[in-house]
Amino acid sequence: MKHVIIGSGAAGISAAKTLREKSTQDEIIILSADEFVYSRCMLHQFISGERQTEVLSFIPDDFLEKNNIEFRPNIAVTGIDTVNQMVKFDGGSESYDRLLIATGAKSAFPQIVGLRDTKNVYGLRDLEDARAIRDKATQSNNIVIIGAGLVGLDAAYGLLEIGKTSTIIEMSNAILSTNLDLHAASTYHIKFEEAGCAFHLGMKVKRVLSNASGEIEAIVTDHDERIACDLLIVATGVHPTLDFLSDSGIKTNRGITVNEYLATSAPNVYAAGDVTGLSESWPSAVQQGEIAALNMLGIETAHPDTFLPKNTIHFFGVPSLSIGQFIPEAGDTKDSREDRMRYQKVILRDGIPVGVILQGDISRSGFWQQLILNKVDVTSMPKSIWKVSFADSYHIDENGEYYWTMSV
Amino acid sequence: MRRIIIDADKCKACKNCSVACMRAHAPEGVTFSLSDPQFESRNTILQDGEKQYKPLFCRHCAKPSCANACVSGALAKDPNTGHVLYNPDICAKCFMCVMNCPFGVLKPDRLTNTYVVKCDFCAADGSEPNCVANCPSKAIYVKEVE
Repeated sequence: MKHVIIGSGAAGISAAKTLREKSTQDEIIILSADEFVYSRCMLHQFISGERQTEVLSFIPDDFLEKNNIEFRPNIAVTGIDTVNQMVKFDGGSESYDRLLIATGAKSAFPQIVGLRDTKNVYGLRDLEDARAIRDKATQSNNIVIIGAGLVGLDAAYGLLEIGKTSTIIEMSNAILSTNLDLHAASTYHIKFEEAGCAFHLGMKVKRVLSNASGEIEAIVTDHDERIACDLLIVATGVHPTLDFLSDSGIKTNRGITVNEYLATSAPNVYAAGDVTGLSESWPSAVQQGEIAALNMLGIETAHPDTFLPKNTIHFFGVPSLSIGQFIPEAGDTKDSREDRMRYQKVILRDGIPVGVILQGDISRSGFWQQLILNKVDVTSMPKSIWKVSFADSYHIDENGEYYWTMSV
Repeated sequence: MRRIIIDADKCKACKNCSVACMRAHAPEGVTFSLSDPQFESRNTILQDGEKQYKPLFCRHCAKPSCANACVSGALAKDPNTGHVLYNPDICAKCFMCVMNCPFGVLKPDRLTNTYVVKCDFCAADGSEPNCVANCPSKAIYVKEVE
């Protein structure tokens, strides 16, 4: 059987790996828009100079060769013929028995007057974005970033490492507002300001102004404030990369529509990762790639319908993690504690945690996600909630592996 | 693969395993001291609500959630030994692994938050892991498993 995977991010690579683990014979081809396999989660470390291109990869050097995976770089897919089972791209086409679409997402630029036609404006999603930003930044004196989410702050942090401060414009009233509560976010807010960055919160960019050469010169906020700018980084979110599907008949909503087996509306075509709009983080894209691959091989495997927003954040030596809901709803209870080094907060619904924030000390905290997913009633335990751990649901199987049971 | 098997009922929480681990992973040329925070144990012993001891040791899982969450490839399952090994040199220090270890085994290092404290099965020694060698109650032992 011939498997074609479009995309070489977390989902695509995980699918290729799974296909090879389960089948030594099948043909596996990856068509990638990228020049080589690299991790998008580390681009800010490329900007900072901490990492060169050769250490941006997340797979061993011999992975493709050892697993007999044909990797075709710089392929811009233009369409899919689902009747004849062909992928079309500039300069050729490739037939498939099974197809996985794992094209990820790309930067979504907001509707701002003048934005698209102006030079020195970049998203931060691809290596070429990071390269352009790194090149320009060294000569820039007025760097502006739109968006104070993780990507925007990653960019700001990477730039600080090469001695460049930024001005960050954010439309909500707090930084990292999808990841952290105000209290935890303020820790980073203060540290970024101390490092020389400036935040303009509760503001949008209304217009960009350019000079005679078409290069960006300034941005104008909706408060009619003019901020000088010679490099603009747009970090206002992403949307699934699916423009090439328009003539394919494959159904899409926000992302590609998939069923629980990650099959699309077209026969023998699957989708996984950010392009589905269903993966909330790297590990979930990896999981989807694996599940799609199993189904491509006829090993029927359903995707769990758990969508749990989660992320880790690490700036200025202060790590944080955030899982699930961190703002209580009516009827929820909140428990929190803090000292000089740490902040911890959990939201409980009928005694069951629905969200947690840990900042400063995240040691041995991985069990929190399981407490939330397995709906463990932590208030019925004969100990403080802050002492709960895997010990309270301790199970070991015959092979010596730990496991969680669904109820405690 | 070889795995450290846990018989929790035999654990007396003497913590010889933890001390052995701290010592085994001490940087070269540094005098070992229990009170020096740069020495950290990869294992620990927890207590459940009934105060029973529950040893927490990396399982080198068949399907390692830590490696699945790793954005840099620093954590990967060795296809030959089955052990999940960590390469600090390529680690992105994002600590996604810490959040995604379902059992809460992993942690960032205490002093600098720049690397992950992770069991390596004392692989460099090539012999029995030091925790196992130092357990007086046979609560942990190495066994070949599937």
